[in-house]
Amino acid sequence: CSDFLDVSPSDRLIQVDFWKTRQHAEAALVGTYNALLNGNIYGGVAMIAMEAATPNAFTYNNTGGGGFIAQGIHDAANNGIINNKWGACYVGIGRANTLLSNIGGITMDETTKKRYTAEAKFLRALFYHDLWLYYGGVPLILETPNLEKQGTLPRNKADEVYAQIIKDCDEAVADLPQLGTTKGHAAKGAAFALKARTMLYKGDFQGAAAAAKQIIDGKSYTLFADYRELFQLDKEGNSEVIFDVQFKNPEFTHSMDITFTDFNSIAPLPDLLNDYYMTDGLPASQSKLFDPKKPYDNRDPRLNQTNILPSTTFRAKTVLANTFGFTGIGQKKYTVYKDNEDRATIAEGQSELNYMVFRYADVLLMFAEAQNEVAGPSQAVYDALNLIRKRAGMPNFPTGLTKEQMRAEIRHERRIELAGEGLYYHDIRRWGTAEKVMNTDIFNFAGGKIGTRKFNKDRDYLWPVPTVVLQNNTSLEQNPGYGK
Amino acid sequence: VIFANVSFAFDSVAQELLERRISIQATNQNINSVLSEIEKMVEVKFSYSPNLIRASRKITVTASNEKLSAVLEKLLTPQKLTYEIVGRQIILKRETTEKIQTGQLDLPNAFSPPLDQTITGTVTDENGSGLPGVSILVKGTQRGTTTDASGKYRLILSDNNEVLVFSFVGYLSQEITIGTQTTLNVSLKPDTKALDEIVVVGYGTQKKANLTGSVASIDQKFLANRPITNSSQALQGLSGVYVNMSKGRPGADGATIRIRGVGSFGTNNNPLILVDGVEYNLRDINPADIESITVLKDAASSAIYGNRAANGVVLVKTRGGEKGKFKVDYNMYAGYQEATTFPDAVSDAVQYMEGKNLALQNQGSPIEYSQAIIDEYKSGTDPYIYANTNWFDVMFRKAAQQEHNLRFSGGNDRTTFALSLGYLNQDGIMLGSGAKRYSINTNIASDVTKWLKIGGNIIANFWDYRESAYTADEGNGEGGLMGLIYRGLPMQVPLLADGSYADQWIRVPGHNFYRNPYALAFEGFRKNTNFSAIFNFFAEAQLAKNLRYRVTIAPNFGYDVEKYNNPVIDLKHPKTGAIAPMGNIPIRGVRQSLAEALSLTNFHTLNWNRTIGKSELTALGGFSLEMFKNGSFNAGNQGYFANEISELIAGSANPVVGGNSTQSRLMSYFGRINYVFNDKYLLETNFRYDGSSRFAPDKRWGFFPSISAGWRINEEEFMKNVKPISNLKLRASWGQLGSQPQQLFGFIEAVTSGINYNYNNTVVSGGAVTQIAEQNLTWETTTMTDIGLDFGLFNQRLTGEFDWFNKITSGILRQVNIPQQVGNLIGPVRNIGEVQNKGIEFTLNWRDKIGKLNYNLGGNLLQLSNNVLNTGGQRIFNGNRVIFEGSPIDSYFGLRSMGYFQNTDEIKAAPFQNTVTLPGDIRYVDVNGDNRVDNNDREIIGNTIPKYTYSFTFGADYKGIDFSAFFQGVQGLQNYVNANLGFPYRNGAGVTKEFLTESWTVNNPNAKYPRLTTANGYPQNFQVSDFWMRDASYLRLKNIQLGYTIPDKFTKKLGISRLRAFVNGQNLLTFADFTLGDPERNAANEGIIAYPIAKVVTGGLSVTF
Repeated sequence: CSDFLDVSPSDRLIQVDFWKTRQHAEAALVGTYNALLNGNIYGGVAMIAMEAATPNAFTYNNTGGGGFIAQGIHDAANNGIINNKWGACYVGIGRANTLLSNIGGITMDETTKKRYTAEAKFLRALFYHDLWLYYGGVPLILETPNLEKQGTLPRNKADEVYAQIIKDCDEAVADLPQLGTTKGHAAKGAAFALKARTMLYKGDFQGAAAAAKQIIDGKSYTLFADYRELFQLDKEGNSEVIFDVQFKNPEFTHSMDITFTDFNSIAPLPDLLNDYYMTDGLPASQSKLFDPKKPYDNRDPRLNQTNILPSTTFRAKTVLANTFGFTGIGQKKYTVYKDNEDRATIAEGQSELNYMVFRYADVLLMFAEAQNEVAGPSQAVYDALNLIRKRAGMPNFPTGLTKEQMRAEIRHERRIELAGEGLYYHDIRRWGTAEKVMNTDIFNFAGGKIGTRKFNKDRDYLWPVPTVVLQNNTSLEQNPGYGK
Repeated sequence: VIFANVSFAFDSVAQELLERRISIQATNQNINSVLSEIEKMVEVKFSYSPNLIRASRKITVTASNEKLSAVLEKLLTPQKLTYEIVGRQIILKRETTEKIQTGQLDLPNAFSPPLDQTITGTVTDENGSGLPGVSILVKGTQRGTTTDASGKYRLILSDNNEVLVFSFVGYLSQEITIGTQTTLNVSLKPDTKALDEIVVVGYGTQKKANLTGSVASIDQKFLANRPITNSSQALQGLSGVYVNMSKGRPGADGATIRIRGVGSFGTNNNPLILVDGVEYNLRDINPADIESITVLKDAASSAIYGNRAANGVVLVKTRGGEKGKFKVDYNMYAGYQEATTFPDAVSDAVQYMEGKNLALQNQGSPIEYSQAIIDEYKSGTDPYIYANTNWFDVMFRKAAQQEHNLRFSGGNDRTTFALSLGYLNQDGIMLGSGAKRYSINTNIASDVTKWLKIGGNIIANFWDYRESAYTADEGNGEGGLMGLIYRGLPMQVPLLADGSYADQWIRVPGHNFYRNPYALAFEGFRKNTNFSAIFNFFAEAQLAKNLRYRVTIAPNFGYDVEKYNNPVIDLKHPKTGAIAPMGNIPIRGVRQSLAEALSLTNFHTLNWNRTIGKSELTALGGFSLEMFKNGSFNAGNQGYFANEISELIAGSANPVVGGNSTQSRLMSYFGRINYVFNDKYLLETNFRYDGSSRFAPDKRWGFFPSISAGWRINEEEFMKNVKPISNLKLRASWGQLGSQPQQLFGFIEAVTSGINYNYNNTVVSGGAVTQIAEQNLTWETTTMTDIGLDFGLFNQRLTGEFDWFNKITSGILRQVNIPQQVGNLIGPVRNIGEVQNKGIEFTLNWRDKIGKLNYNLGGNLLQLSNNVLNTGGQRIFNGNRVIFEGSPIDSYFGLRSMGYFQNTDEIKAAPFQNTVTLPGDIRYVDVNGDNRVDNNDREIIGNTIPKYTYSFTFGADYKGIDFSAFFQGVQGLQNYVNANLGFPYRNGAGVTKEFLTESWTVNNPNAKYPRLTTANGYPQNFQVSDFWMRDASYLRLKNIQLGYTIPDKFTKKLGISRLRAFVNGQNLLTFADFTLGDPERNAANEGIIAYPIAKVVTGGLSVTF
C-alpha cells in the first residue's frame, strides 16, 4: 500500500534521466537561447529603454528603468532593470554552464556536439558581457550551478570577467559555422562581433579592429539597402543581421510597437533630432540648407526613418503636436508601422519584430572607430563609414579629417545610425561623455522644459549591485557610491 | 429566530440516532430510569409529561442490537404510549391521542374539584405549534390536567387566586396566576440546558455538553433566504472566523476564510472544507442545501483531520430526508442589487482639465490643455462632443437577482430521501456580466437489513457566467474592464447620437487609448461554464459488541470550460466621424480552456462505545485514502473575419495550444477516544498519521496528536445551589496539525520542459533546470493551545463562551532565496519560519421573552495578534508589504511622515528629502538619523490582518412576525491604495473631487492632501508612507430580514402547512472611513478595481406543502 503515495510528474524529466541523447543536448541549448528573451536583457523593451538614460530620449514613467537612471535617482533597490538584469544574466550563464559541463558525456555526432558547445560558449560570453558592462566585475562561474560550491563566491575583477568573455568568443569562433545553421543560431560573425564590441568598450582598439575586420573580410554580411526597411517585419533575417533575438507571435513577444508609438513612453528628444546632419552632410549650424522655420527639413533621411515628427505622416495620418504627448516626438524604429499605411495597433505584448543584437552597420562603425584609434583615419576607415552614409542616402565623410576630427565624426555617426537601439547609453559611458551630456535640462518639441537630468561621475558609470543580491550573498561588495 | 453563535442540534441527526442499534437489558426497573439509560447510550432526549408515566411503574425489556425505534416500541407499547419526533426530542404520548379527554389524568389520587370557574387555553412550543401532553397542575395540589393532541386544555378551578404550573419535560416550567381570566394561552420555551445539543465533529457527532474542543456553528435558519451567491459568504458571523468578501464579480465572489488568523507565509491559509466529510468547494454547494456549517477551530477538534487542518476545518452538512410524511418546500426571492460605494470621481470635464493643468504646473511640467480647448469646451453644447461623463453611472446598473429552491423530502421507517432543485439568476451590476446557477441535491438513506444501512448523496452544480471578453476582474491589472472604468475620463462618451460606439477626441498623455468600456461590455464575451458533482456513498454496518463500521467512497468531479471571444470594435470620432478600430486590446480571436479535476476519497471508520457505571467510553479508528487529479487543456486561434464567429475551428492564424495534468495523494490513519466520567469530567484524545505524495519517501509521514479535557463544573454538588448558574464548563486543549507544500514535486530534481525558443519562426522545444530540489522537506506543523469557558446564566437565558488560544506554526514551508549567481535558480522550498497567532474569542447570547415577544441578542468578538517569529533570517519583500520577524505577516513597509513642509526654511532645516522639495510636500521622517530620507528610513507602517473581527445579531418574533438583523465588522487594519483615482491623475486617469478641493495650498496649510500634482509626475508625495495608510476598518449591517408567517388557519385551506413572506436586505448600511470603494476588501490589495460588492434588497416566500 505504500506505493500509493509514489507519484511522479509527467511533464518533465528527472535529472538523472537527462543528458543521454542528442535531443537532450539540443533541448538544453534551446533553453539557453530562451534566456535571451528575458524582459531584462533583450525581451520587453529592455534594450531600447536605455535610450531614455541618454540625451536621445525621455520616459515619463520610468519604462524599463531608464528614467530613474537619467535623473540619477536609481539605487540598489528601486529600479526593476537594475534589480533584475543581474539574475537574468545568470539564468543564461547557469544554463550554458550546465550544457557545457554535461554535453561531453553524451554519445552523439561530434560536429554537432562541437557546434552546440560553441553556441553555448557564445551565449555565456554574451550574458557575461552584459554583467561586465553594467555592473563591472561579477562572480565568474563556469560550472553547473551548485549552491554549496558557488553560493558564497565573491566578485571577480572586471578584467577577469573580460578575459573570460574574450576566451569564450575565441573558442566559439573556432567551432561555429560561417553562417548559422538556421537563422537565430549564432554563427562565427556573432562571436566576432561580440568580441569586437567587448574589446571596443574595454578600449582594446587593436583587438576590436581585428575582430571586426574578420567579419568584413568574411563577406557574409552586407548592409541592407533600405535603412527603414531594415527594421521591418517582412525583412527580418536580411543580409545585415549578424545575430538577433527572435520573437514570434503569439509565443514570444514584446511590446515595442505600442510602447514607442501609442504610449510614447520611450520618447525621442529634440536633442537627438537636432544632431542629424543636413542632406549636404553638414551640421545644421553650418549648413545653408538649414531653415529655422522648418528646422527638420532637408535632414539626413534617417531622421524621419527613426523618429516620428509632428506634421509628418505616420500610419496614414498627419502627426499632430499632441499625438505624442510627452515630447511631441515618437520613435519609429523598431515599430512595424509604416508611414502611409493604416493598420490596427499592435497591442501590448503582441510585437514580434526581432531585436538585432549585432548588425553589419554596427560592425563597420566599430571597425572604423577602433581602426581610427589604432592608426588614424585610413582609407579603410573611410570605406567602412561611407558604406553607411551611402546606404543612408547621405554624402561621403569629408576627406582630410584629423584623427580627433574623425573620432568626433564617428561618434556622431554612431549616435545617428544606432539611435533608438539602446547602444548609445554604453557609448556615452565608455567615451566618458555621460557626465557632460547627462547633467542638463531636457525639453519637448515645442521647447518646453520637461525635466532635469543628473549624472554622478563618481558613481554612475556603473550600476549598483542589487540589494537582494547583496543580501543573499554577503561576500559580494557594492560598487562605489551606492549604499547597500 | 437567528442565533449565530450557538450550536444547534439537527433534526436529521436525531433521526439518525433514533435508528441506532442498542442493546439493553432491564428487569423490573422504573420506566424513567430505563429511558435515561437509553438517553445516555444514544444521544437523544425524551420529553414527556411527568404525569404521563407513573414513576413507580416497573417494566422489563430486553433488546440485543436492535434499532432504537424497535426498542422504544417494545418499551412503550405495553404502556399504551407512543412517540413522535418534534425537533430534536422524542416526545412520548398516549397511543391514540384522540382518546385523551381533557381532565383525564393518569394520577392515582386525582379528584374532581368543585365546579366554580372554567379556564381554557392552548399551550404551544417556541414555534407556536400546540404541545400535546403538557401537565397543568394547580400549584401545591395534585389537581390538574394535560393538554390534548393540539395543545388545548380545559380546567375547572375553585379559586382565581390559584397559580397554575405548566410543565413539560424538555421545556422550562411556567407558573401563572389565574386572576379573572377564563382563557390562558401559554407558550413554553425549550429548556436549552436539558436539550442535549448535538454538534457535528470530525467523522461523527457529539453532545455539545461533552465537547472539549472549540467549535462554532450555524444552521440553515441563519442562512435561510439570504441572497448568498457563494456559500463561503455564509460563514460570516461565526466566532473566530474572518470572512472577507473582497469582490462581487458574479461567479467569482467567493469569500476568503481565515480561521484564527493567518498561520503561514508558505502554504495556503485556507481552511479545509469538507462537505459531508469529503473535501469540496463551497462555491459548488447551494446554500439552501446546507443544514449546518461547523467550524473546528482548535487543535483538539481538528487534529483528526491532521494533514490539512492547520487553518481550521469547515464541516458542511447537507440536508437529508426525514422520516415522516412527504413534504414539499418551495423558497424563492427576487430583488435587485446595487453597488455600495464608488470613488467620488470628478465628472466635470472642465474641472478635470483645469485641475490637471494646475497639477502639472505645480510639478513644473508643461500644461496639457490649452485655454483654447478649455474655452471651446465651456462654450460647447453638443453633449456627445463636450461630455461630462461619470463612468460609474454609465457602467453600473441596478441589477436583478432571483433564486428559487424546490425541495421534496420524506421517508418511512426504513428509508428517507430528499431531492432539491435550485436556480439562481444574478445579473451583474456591471453591464454585460451575470451568473446563473442550477443545482441538484439528492439524498437517500436506507436500512437494507437489520444491521446494514446504506445511503448516498449526489450534489451537482452547474454555473454559467458571462462577462466582457475584457473581463471584469482586477486580475487583468489596468487591462480589465474594471480597470478601464477607473481610468475613464469625463471627456469620453460611451455612445454617439447615432448609437455608434464613440472614440475620444481629446487625447490625454499617459492615456493614449480610449478603450471604450461600454463597447467592450457588449462586444465579444467571456463565458465560463462550470460543472461539478460529488457522489458520496456510504455503508454502515452494525457489528457485534457495539462496534459500528462505516465506509465512505466519494468521487467528485469538476469541469470548467472558459471561453473568450475577443472582438474587433470600431469607434467613431465624435467630431470628424472617422472610424478607427479600438487599439491596445487583444487581437480578435477565440481562446478556450478546459480545466478538469477528479478526486477520490475513501475512508473507513470503526466506532465503539461502552458505558460502565459512571464511565462512558467512546472510540473511533479510521483509515483514509485520497487522490487528487487535475488537468487542463487550452487552445487559441486568431484570424477571424467577424466578431460573431466564436469557435476555435473558424480561425486561421497563430494557433496556440497548451495543457498539463498533475496528481497528488494522501494516506492517513486516525483515531479518537472520548472518556466521560460521571457527566462531569471529560477527556478526549485524537491523532492522525498522514502520508503525502508531496514529500520524499522517507519524509512523507507526519503524526498529529491532540488532547483535551473538560470539567462541567455545574454538575458538581457544590454548584447545585448556585441557582443563577445553569451551565459552567471549563475546557482546555492542545494539539498539533499539519500542512503540506503547495508544490507537488519539490523534492524531485527535474529538468523543466517548455523552455523553448524560436528560430526563424519555428518554435523548438527546450528544457532547463530551474529549481533546486529539497529532499528534506517535511510537514509544516501548527501547535495550538486553547483554554475555554462555556457558561449559561439565569436558566440559560444568557449563554456565552470564552476562548483563549495560542497557535504557533513552525517549519513553515517557504521557498528560500538563494544567491542569484547560482544560475538564478528558484530556491528550494524548505521548512523555515515560525508564526504566532494569539488571541481571544468571546461570544455572548441572550434570549428571552416579553409577553408574546420572543427576542434574542448575540455577539462575538475575535481579538487576534499575528506575529512572525522567525523567517530563517530572510527579510521577505512582497511589493510594498513585507514579512519581517517581529511584525504581522504582510505588513506595509514604508516611510513615516510628519505633516507638510509649510515653507522653504523648513525644507532647508530638515534632513534631505529629495532633489526637488517644495512647500506643500509631505515631510518624511529621517528615522535612522543620517540626515537624509531614503529607503533605509522605512519602517512597518500598517497591518493587513484585522486585529478585531466581530459581529452581533438581533432577532425577535411576535405573533408570526419575525425580525432579524446581523452586523459584522473588522477593526485594526490598514490599506495602502496605489491605483488610479486613489492618487490624482495617475497614468492619465482621473481624479477624485477631494484632491481638487482638499489639497495643500498656502491658504489651506492643514489640508487633507499634499499640494496637487500628478501621481506619476511627482512621485515623492506618493511614496509608500504612513500618510497613505487608509483605515480599512468597517462595520456593516450585513443582513436584515423581516418576515411574516401567515396563520395556518388561513393557509391550511389551501393545503399549505406553512407560508412565510419576507423582505431581506444585504449590506444596507456600512460605516467606514474608506471611500474609494467597498471597505469590505482585502487590505493587502493595493488596487481598488475589484468588482464592487452589492447592496441587495429582496422579497420572497417560503411555502411548505
